[in-house]
Amino acid sequence: MNSTSTQFVPSRRMGLCEPMPQVGMWNDYKENNCMHASQPVILEVDSRFDNQSEDTSHGTVGPSNKYDQEENKPVDKVMRRLAQNREAARKCRLRKKAYVQQLENSKLRLMQLEQELERARHQGSYIGGGLDTGQLGYSGTTNPGIATFEMEYGHWVEEQNKKIADLRNALYSDIGDVELGIFVDGGMRHYFDLFAMKATAARADVFYLMSGTWKTSAEHFLSWIGGFRPSELLKVLMPHLEPLTEQRRLELSNLRQSCQQAEDALSQGLEKLHQILSETVADGQLGEGNYLPQISAAMEKLEAMVRFVGQADHLRQETLLQISRNLTTRQTARGLLALGEYFQRLRALSSLWASRPRGSA
Amino acid sequence: MQKALSYRDWLSTTTTTGGATNPPMENSSTSDNDTAVVKKLVTENAVVVFARRGCCMCHVVKLLLHGHGVNPTIFDVDEQNEAAVMNELSKINTAGEGSAATEAKFPAVFVGGKLLGGLEEIMGAHISGELVPRLREAGALWL
Repeated sequence: MNSTSTQFVPSRRMGLCEPMPQVGMWNDYKENNCMHASQPVILEVDSRFDNQSEDTSHGTVGPSNKYDQEENKPVDKVMRRLAQNREAARKCRLRKKAYVQQLENSKLRLMQLEQELERARHQGSYIGGGLDTGQLGYSGTTNPGIATFEMEYGHWVEEQNKKIADLRNALYSDIGDVELGIFVDGGMRHYFDLFAMKATAARADVFYLMSGTWKTSAEHFLSWIGGFRPSELLKVLMPHLEPLTEQRRLELSNLRQSCQQAEDALSQGLEKLHQILSETVADGQLGEGNYLPQISAAMEKLEAMVRFVGQADHLRQETLLQISRNLTTRQTARGLLALGEYFQRLRALSSLWASRPRGSA
Repeated sequence: MQKALSYRDWLSTTTTTGGATNPPMENSSTSDNDTAVVKKLVTENAVVVFARRGCCMCHVVKLLLHGHGVNPTIFDVDEQNEAAVMNELSKINTAGEGSAATEAKFPAVFVGGKLLGGLEEIMGAHISGELVPRLREAGALWL
């Protein structure tokens, strides 16, 4: 990551921090970092003062004693400048934080991609969306619907990473609620797109979808009927939606309970299907070699599986919608960001787990 | 909450209550008999669920309604009667709402004489909080 860079254009040292510096070695950036934004700004504004050494403690605005030497008339102006300066420095630090996070995510993503390439080179298998499980030519080669889904899902994840980064930047910047709402809508719709993709894939091969091979291992471990558990999602989100009024908190708490009830009902229904399927297949004489009637009866039952996956995704969609109905745009944005990053972390965890050195002490 | 059917009702219909399913006697009856029964069920009961026998989706609907303290009347639909019953249900729905006939799916849930929908609609109403008021309105809830 540090191998290539372009030098910072020197003039940038003097200006306020750029919103999102495109390139530059991390080290370069550090030296010119926003912590010293205060000094350059003062310099710009009043060149009378000498360059403060870059060792000056972080975050301090210029020493006030120098200002006493000036006439008292512009003191107000100066105080205002200082305040603006502090604000600018603060914003710059936030942007820097966002930028760092973006870099680290990209670094993880790069690691994942490199591993994938390694694996693909060795096995010559189809590169799909589940980065660490290695499809090894799964039904992707025999079922075009699944091959399509794997490819589309890979794109979906990439697009999701971009959307999360954009949402993060939008939240840290000063854009108004209307603009922020556009990011929020985009984020929600992206999840709904995934549900639509899954519905199509379920018709192609519902077992594949339920097996979770298309997801990373940690995601699959924590999943419920092919995706996230809505009540769990609410638990993850709620701390990041604060501050909440008591009423809102109660509403969200009730929503969580409703989700749990719905999840339990669906789970039990699925259990029943499990039983019925088993009974259907085991029906009649086992051992006679003629089982066509049982198999065709079972085929009908399997159709219900497709509906179950659909109902689970529908529940997820309704939950997301209901959450957004109860919150402000900004709160929903924060919720979406938290959710997005939660899954990014799970994906990163899966990657690292898959690549950990085996047999080490 | 146990929804009690009067003895007269029990005689005149061949349906089940309390979520337990009996083999329906309408196996041998004509579809005319069915449609009359269907209409009567919808108008006389606060909550009715029409579902194919052994349908797991129906099981889910039942559980959700039980969770709200509602004991729905369940009508098991036989394969041969499916089309006829579905037809009748769609007619009831149209008559009630005066809107274009919507093809209902099984399981079909009627609350207060009106078609609420299938599992999807019940889930949606459950999550959005609209289910409880509608149940209350239809007199299915006592609290």
